[in-house]
Amino acid sequence: MLQLTSITKSFFQKIAVDDVSLSLYEGEIFGLLGPNGAGKTTLIRIINRIIEPEKGEVRYRGELMKGRHLAEIGYLPEERGLYKTMTVYDHAMFLGRLRRMSKDDVNRSLNAWLEKFEITSWKNKRIEELSKGMAQKVQFICAVLHEPKLLILDEPFSGFDPVNVELIQNELKSMKKAGKTILLSSHNMKSVEEICDRAALIHQSKKIIEGSVLQLREDRKDGRYAIKFKGNMLAFTHALWTGFELLEKEELAKDRFVAYVAMRGENNFQDLLKTLIGQIEIEAAWEVLPSMQQIFIETVTGKNI
Amino acid sequence: MNVSWLIAQRELKERVRTRSFIGMAIVGPLLVMLLVYVLFSVGENNKPHWNVLIVDPAGIMDNKILANTTGSISYDFANKYVQLKDFEKSKRFQKYDALLELNEKIISNKAAFLFYKEKPSFLFATSIQFHLERRLEEVMVGRFTKLSIQDFRGIKQPVNLAFRNLYDPKNESYNLSSWVGFFFGSIILLFILLFGMTILRSVSSEKSNRIVEVLLASVKPRQLMFGKIAGIGIAAILQFVIWTILIWIGLVILRETLFPDMLQISNWNMSEISAETASGMENSLFRSKTYNDFVELVYSRIQFGDMLIFFLLFFVSGYIFYGTFFAALGATSGSENDGQQFVLPIMALLIIALWAGYYAVQNPVSDVTAVLSFVPFTAPMVCMVKLAQGYSFGQGYQIYVSFTILALSSFATLRIAGRLYQNGILQFGHRLKLTQFVTWLKNG
Repeated sequence: MLQLTSITKSFFQKIAVDDVSLSLYEGEIFGLLGPNGAGKTTLIRIINRIIEPEKGEVRYRGELMKGRHLAEIGYLPEERGLYKTMTVYDHAMFLGRLRRMSKDDVNRSLNAWLEKFEITSWKNKRIEELSKGMAQKVQFICAVLHEPKLLILDEPFSGFDPVNVELIQNELKSMKKAGKTILLSSHNMKSVEEICDRAALIHQSKKIIEGSVLQLREDRKDGRYAIKFKGNMLAFTHALWTGFELLEKEELAKDRFVAYVAMRGENNFQDLLKTLIGQIEIEAAWEVLPSMQQIFIETVTGKNI
Repeated sequence: MNVSWLIAQRELKERVRTRSFIGMAIVGPLLVMLLVYVLFSVGENNKPHWNVLIVDPAGIMDNKILANTTGSISYDFANKYVQLKDFEKSKRFQKYDALLELNEKIISNKAAFLFYKEKPSFLFATSIQFHLERRLEEVMVGRFTKLSIQDFRGIKQPVNLAFRNLYDPKNESYNLSSWVGFFFGSIILLFILLFGMTILRSVSSEKSNRIVEVLLASVKPRQLMFGKIAGIGIAAILQFVIWTILIWIGLVILRETLFPDMLQISNWNMSEISAETASGMENSLFRSKTYNDFVELVYSRIQFGDMLIFFLLFFVSGYIFYGTFFAALGATSGSENDGQQFVLPIMALLIIALWAGYYAVQNPVSDVTAVLSFVPFTAPMVCMVKLAQGYSFGQGYQIYVSFTILALSSFATLRIAGRLYQNGILQFGHRLKLTQFVTWLKNG
């Protein structure tokens, strides 16, 4: 769907993006991660043809990205604004027409989105009459009004309350189901874990890692298992004996715990469960994968956490 | 639809809805009309009574004129030629405020001169002209036609009464037309400044509220800049059209109300007016008014057709020329207030242009004026003055040369500003420095 090859861009001799290559596949949600100043926004602006790279190329569906392709792309920038004195309708009409939509199409699409978000009464309100959260919904609607095939969202969840984060996440999932491709840049790692199929981490202008979210976590797992149980902690410790190592524990209640265990020797998860059954009442057990948050921090800081 | 046009439309809608636009559309013409009124009133002196000596060696007027002897103007007749120097210095002419010189050719060339010691008010000037015309009509009807006075008025031509300063009889400093050009040029500069600042504020505000990035995902920076300049420019032209209409209406109202006492029949000495004249007077009053100096200036001397066409051409080119600088400044500034310091050089250029216009008024045939009319910064102002003065025979091409230079310069500044705009529009939070301009200019 979208292919970036060796993209390089600098400003005033400071390299903002250094030889970054990425591929987005049709129908996936791709997370672009990285600390502030890593070069994510520059990369997104290059994809949107807002700025031009010094080196490298962007291909959209196999063709070099041209202005005409922008009609199939929706973009919600991180630092987004609206004209405060314009109404929601005027705003949508203006931005929709800039995306080459007809007036009828803008009307139809706007009404559909307003109904979907149950905000039809906002249509003729001026932006300055809306709260920040309300304005953000309008911004989102304006970005997807023309039913883009590729949606690029720069920090789409920033400033949203949890209810609206959920709403937007669900909407993105629906769009994915409908075959849309979504590129999102976010610091909200929980959201990335929940909705992204694949992700790349940009750090100091370079791409550090890229892959499916599950695979990235699998690749960095360290053989930890978690057991959630009801019972005596002493009994649990005795049961482990020499075949396993208790790494840490969380006390959930007086007699309920989550214990994190590592294997010793040839032992595996099955052996652990066999050892524990009968000693404690197991409520849940799972292999612990590092969160995207951990991977992000470890990669950026170089420290194990 | 072209995206620049969409941006221009949005900008236009936004501008015309603002209170400042509506306020300016009302206050501007009112101020101009006030200025016009003040300018005409400035010429008024406080003399309650004028003594005019009519020098009529050929006896054309037969020592009669249509004046109320108790009115504000008294006429005496001299049937011998009076030298201007005598009139100026001789004691026997001390009591007279003006000398109205008629010669035998007035019947054929309709030309007369009034030499004044102090510039007469428009009311006096109009009254004197009116008196002279009415009397001449009677004379001509009596001498040459069998027409009724009403029929004669239907075919007559106005008298060209030239008002001359007794101390400057050749009228070398008479440059009323130049000031009309200066006025038009000043309007161009005023609109460039006001709407240029609007461009600056609009670009800065789009930049600071970050809507610009949303727009740039759909349009190129140059398209955005061009759309913005075009939209605000159309708003400026619309504002000018409103001004023109309102000022036109205002001038008509002034024409109808400035000289009301002259129109009162009761002010006339009926014993000196024939019955025919008196009966036809009311119908002819409106027509008579069309020949006063004020109306002549506004409706005859100013070539509105040419002035308005060239006004629009020079306004559009001058606006683009200066407007692109304002747009580039807005795009390159780090915050809304950051660009203010760089407005000063642009304002300095506008002030120089204003001075150039004044210089052209005072020195219409100077080489410096000719050069200033070709310089893009000063051309909109100087060319308006020169156009109002009238180009000498064979030099009419100069205005087209000036316009071509200005138009080409505007095109060049559009390209330069476009480069600055493109490179600066997504730079935030910095403090604008001259070195950045240079860097952004180099980065195509």
